[in-house]
Amino acid sequence: MTTLHVAGRDHAMELVAALGRDFSSTLDIELTLAGALRRIADHVEAEAGALFMLDAAAQTLRCHASVGPTDIVGLEIAADQGIAGRAVQRNIGEIVRDVSQDPQFNRAVDRKTGFTTRSILCAPLSVKDDRIGAIQLINKRGGDGLFDDDDLNLLAVLASSAALAILNARMAAKLVEQERDRRELELAAEIQRSLLPQAAAEDFPVHGVNCPARTVSGDFYDFFALADGRICFALGDVSGKGMNAALMMAKAASLFRCLGKTIHQPGRLLAHINSEIAETATLGMFITMVVGIYDSRTGIVRFSNAGHEPLQLHAPDGSFAEFAAEMPPVGIIAGLPGQLYPEISVPLAGGALYAFTDGVTEGYLESGRELGLAGLKEFLSRNASEPMPRRLARVAEALTKSQASLRDDVTLLAVDDRAAAVRRAIGPPTPTLDSASVTVLRFRVPAVADRLRLIRTVVGESSRLVGCSESVAKDVTLAVDEACQNIIRHAYKDIPDGEIVVEIVREGGKLIILLNDFAPTIDPKTVRPRNLDDIRPGGLGTHLIREIMDEVEFLEPPFAGGNVLRLVKRIA
Amino acid sequence: MKHQIKENDGALVIALEGDVDLKTSPDARKILLDAVGRNLPIVVDLSGVQYIDSSGVASLIEAFQKARKTGRKFVLAAVSDSALRVLNLARMDKVFAICSNVAEGLAKVR
Repeated sequence: MTTLHVAGRDHAMELVAALGRDFSSTLDIELTLAGALRRIADHVEAEAGALFMLDAAAQTLRCHASVGPTDIVGLEIAADQGIAGRAVQRNIGEIVRDVSQDPQFNRAVDRKTGFTTRSILCAPLSVKDDRIGAIQLINKRGGDGLFDDDDLNLLAVLASSAALAILNARMAAKLVEQERDRRELELAAEIQRSLLPQAAAEDFPVHGVNCPARTVSGDFYDFFALADGRICFALGDVSGKGMNAALMMAKAASLFRCLGKTIHQPGRLLAHINSEIAETATLGMFITMVVGIYDSRTGIVRFSNAGHEPLQLHAPDGSFAEFAAEMPPVGIIAGLPGQLYPEISVPLAGGALYAFTDGVTEGYLESGRELGLAGLKEFLSRNASEPMPRRLARVAEALTKSQASLRDDVTLLAVDDRAAAVRRAIGPPTPTLDSASVTVLRFRVPAVADRLRLIRTVVGESSRLVGCSESVAKDVTLAVDEACQNIIRHAYKDIPDGEIVVEIVREGGKLIILLNDFAPTIDPKTVRPRNLDDIRPGGLGTHLIREIMDEVEFLEPPFAGGNVLRLVKRIA
Repeated sequence: MKHQIKENDGALVIALEGDVDLKTSPDARKILLDAVGRNLPIVVDLSGVQYIDSSGVASLIEAFQKARKTGRKFVLAAVSDSALRVLNLARMDKVFAICSNVAEGLAKVR
């Protein structure tokens, strides 16, 4: 710059300053570049000019702005072609006083445009080694028609300031894009969090925790109470991480929540989820998944494991037992219709059953050590006196404290039988459906007088089926009818659209009928047979039920509300 | 549920037929109370009732109590085994006069 003429230098400095202002305030870098090129060409008194930029692959130079008699915007040349290509490759500017003497000069453009190029002034657009393109000025007007060193120096200064502006603009655009991606990811994560269940009350038997390694997660867990009080739960881990895993997770979680409401056998449920996912899954993606159902009245968990980490049962005596998967992950092969995943039945007996993803055992502690299965067991043992939500949070905290970011999503789910076991121990022995029980029939029926005849027919036939004598079948039919009437008239009273789920079970020498309604939970103490010496219409039903059945009792109200009445008749 | 009312030499014979349950007992109740209102002795023929529940029994009790208040006789006749079982369970066999057939019932109310 020291060789600039003093008079021209002031003018040049003004131009540099003006272009700097233009670049820093522009919203449209292409438009600003075109304006800058015109001002530079005017200043240097060039007949024409062009601004070339490299494409993303740095293979092609494309004209983004041009001044002069012919518009060559859009013209593409190879990145090492022509004078501009040479400037880019060498990353230095030059003056070619007579292009006819330069073998590198590309005559094709002149032939195409009809323009005659005599001399060229060219400077690379680059910031350090970051090459962006080149500015080229053609044929100096007036004088000897030759560019001089002052022109080259000025162009070099202007080109580097333009290059910086382009780079800035590109980075800003990238940031905007990144910000948009980040915001979209944030929204996806929010939707995903909404797919996880709400934190349950501390005394609820099932709890879970999920910490995504990235914004979104390929892990999920879910649980919900069924009308009869049992709790359905699931935990899954989609292969891979990132958005594709997150979308797959959303599908699996939705399928579980939807199908789990009607299919209460874990093996069958997994088979359904598997065939749904296998039907549409992307090749190579699969889900390891555990689905189970917990009954607090028995403490038994029945579950099915599709290729997931073994579940760990932490018994009250401190020992651990594990239950490994028997089937491959879901989503790999659709399987034969009706093929079930085997179910395992585990009595928790006051213990806690843990399901977790490998992100837990492969996670790093603050010390930099991997938690490992032994570490997880030790952790759970050490915190066994903590309430379950706290215990799970402790594990998640330990894994997120590490300096290294999470390797994988961390997800844990626990079914804690401790409180229910205490209730079972101190309460009246709650009769249960043991493994020898056979469900004869289970149906859901509107709680209206109109359906009682239907219920009677079904109950009567079912009683005969399990071996009741004709007279016992009639009695049981009456008792169930009366119990349903109580539900219709007293439990639902003014509530429309009530339903009753009738479950008829044979268990050894007993016929058991479970009547489940979804009305507000009633206090069993208020349901008393009336004094028969007081002869009046009404109130006989409860008496008839107690007279006929060998056992009549309300079971512990389900978590989801409602009532379950259990009627037992010994089959002679 | 179907029903038939016949006047027989100064007494009403009300024959109920079918199931008397929560759905049909309001009808049974109205039929019985209307009949009691006619101030004649009443024989309720239950031979056609294959099923009766507590609400059906309650309708019988209400009609019976109203008849007693007005000094009219009210008997049950030809009670099917199924209905008798329910009356027994409800201890109502001790409350109602139960005759083995309609003729016996008519003889009893005259």
